[in-house]
Amino acid sequence: MIKLRRTLLGIILFLVIWQVLAIYLDANTIIPGLGAIYNELTSLIGKQTFLVAVVSTIGKVIVALLLTLLIGLPLGFLLGINNKLFDMFRPIIMVIQAVPVISWLTLVIFAWGIGFRGPIFITFLSLFPIALLTTVSGVRNLDKNLLEMATLYQVPRWLVIKYIYLGSLLPFIVAILDVTLGQAWKVILVSEYLCGNSGLGVLILAARYEVNPAKVWALTFFAVLLGLIAERLVKLLLRKVAKRWAI
Amino acid sequence: MGNLIKITNLAKSFNDKKVLDNINLSIDKSERVALIGPSGAGKTTLLRIISGLETPSQGTIQIHNHNTGYVFQEPRLIPWRNVEQNLLFVKPDADLEDILVKIRLKDYKNHYPHQLSGGMKQRVNLARALVTNPDLLIMDEPFSSLDLPIKLEIINDVLIQWQERKFTMIIVTHDLKEALLLADRVIILSSSPGQVVEDFTVDLKDLNRKISDPALLNIESDILHVLSNVY
Repeated sequence: MIKLRRTLLGIILFLVIWQVLAIYLDANTIIPGLGAIYNELTSLIGKQTFLVAVVSTIGKVIVALLLTLLIGLPLGFLLGINNKLFDMFRPIIMVIQAVPVISWLTLVIFAWGIGFRGPIFITFLSLFPIALLTTVSGVRNLDKNLLEMATLYQVPRWLVIKYIYLGSLLPFIVAILDVTLGQAWKVILVSEYLCGNSGLGVLILAARYEVNPAKVWALTFFAVLLGLIAERLVKLLLRKVAKRWAI
Repeated sequence: MGNLIKITNLAKSFNDKKVLDNINLSIDKSERVALIGPSGAGKTTLLRIISGLETPSQGTIQIHNHNTGYVFQEPRLIPWRNVEQNLLFVKPDADLEDILVKIRLKDYKNHYPHQLSGGMKQRVNLARALVTNPDLLIMDEPFSSLDLPIKLEIINDVLIQWQERKFTMIIVTHDLKEALLLADRVIILSSSPGQVVEDFTVDLKDLNRKISDPALLNIESDILHVLSNVY
């Protein structure tokens, strides 16, 4: 209760400082008044274009995350258990990591134009190395003594993968989900802004053309809110998994 | 009784460093053998070669057995599986009732390793080795981190199991008393490279031995005499 009160106090303090800055700096292009932001927030909620944009952004985040996990985790697992394969793939991973996002963006626009595929692809490229390399280090960090025990007792390979590899990897998978989910929202918004045709990023771009900073902040507020809700939901799910696996 | 294990001229090196040399050893079925020697004598390496986890650099090893149970020095339990699941991991179709009762784990079968004391973890380690119904039980300093009362309790459990199943048993230990309570043969290895220095027969009929038994103390004194030259 005391913690909640302190948090609320912090939020109120932040809003007061914001409003004071808005009044005294009179820099409406950067810090609009809270009233203006509130008006934008309430007007956005009822609009269909806003709801479509939210669904579009959420959809893209889900698809990008699923692609990252479905390709990154199994491939990371394979590269983790096979050093030769890792050496072969390392240049490709390095290229994906080193090429600036702006280059990918340009290529994506050449290939697909403005649309939904670009933001998903860009987000996937940003998150994929995190998922892949974290899984590789997870596999390499697992307790070799447990593997030796399983070898000695001639435990079938699929049981070793299910109970030793997967169990050891679980904390790493949790970390991957945690990091990639947080990143996904930010990257999707940026790539929507630059090469998307729908979503919150596109609405922020429109607000820029309208020179409407209050709308930019209102949209940012929703983006942050969606990110926090998604993080909470995933944490809840992970807590259940952690309980089941006693980690 | 036939030989279960026959080791001939065995040597093992790691990066050109010889840890075992000229080991010749025969171990019969149902024998209880203790290996004693200073650190670096290659005792654990010898156990790992016998269990198939390492291959010898020279010499041969013949083993006529099907199942090996290995009680590791550290319990090597899967942290996210409970006691019952850890046992079923090595033998999914095992009936655990009997072993859980005999190794005094029945009330702990749903506990996870982090909820167990050191002694209980070693019991699970032992139960896991026994659940495969081994004809060779290998124990690598299994009691080194345990208090004396717990150690004596588990030694007693091991001996009861041996009496029932008559598996061959090889134990590596630093503790001579532990060796004398468990084994009917004590083999002394020299330090690096490990070689067999002496092979003692513990000629005591009673399985339920006492540390203070005069006959046991006599054998202990003979072995200590040899050990004083090895250490």
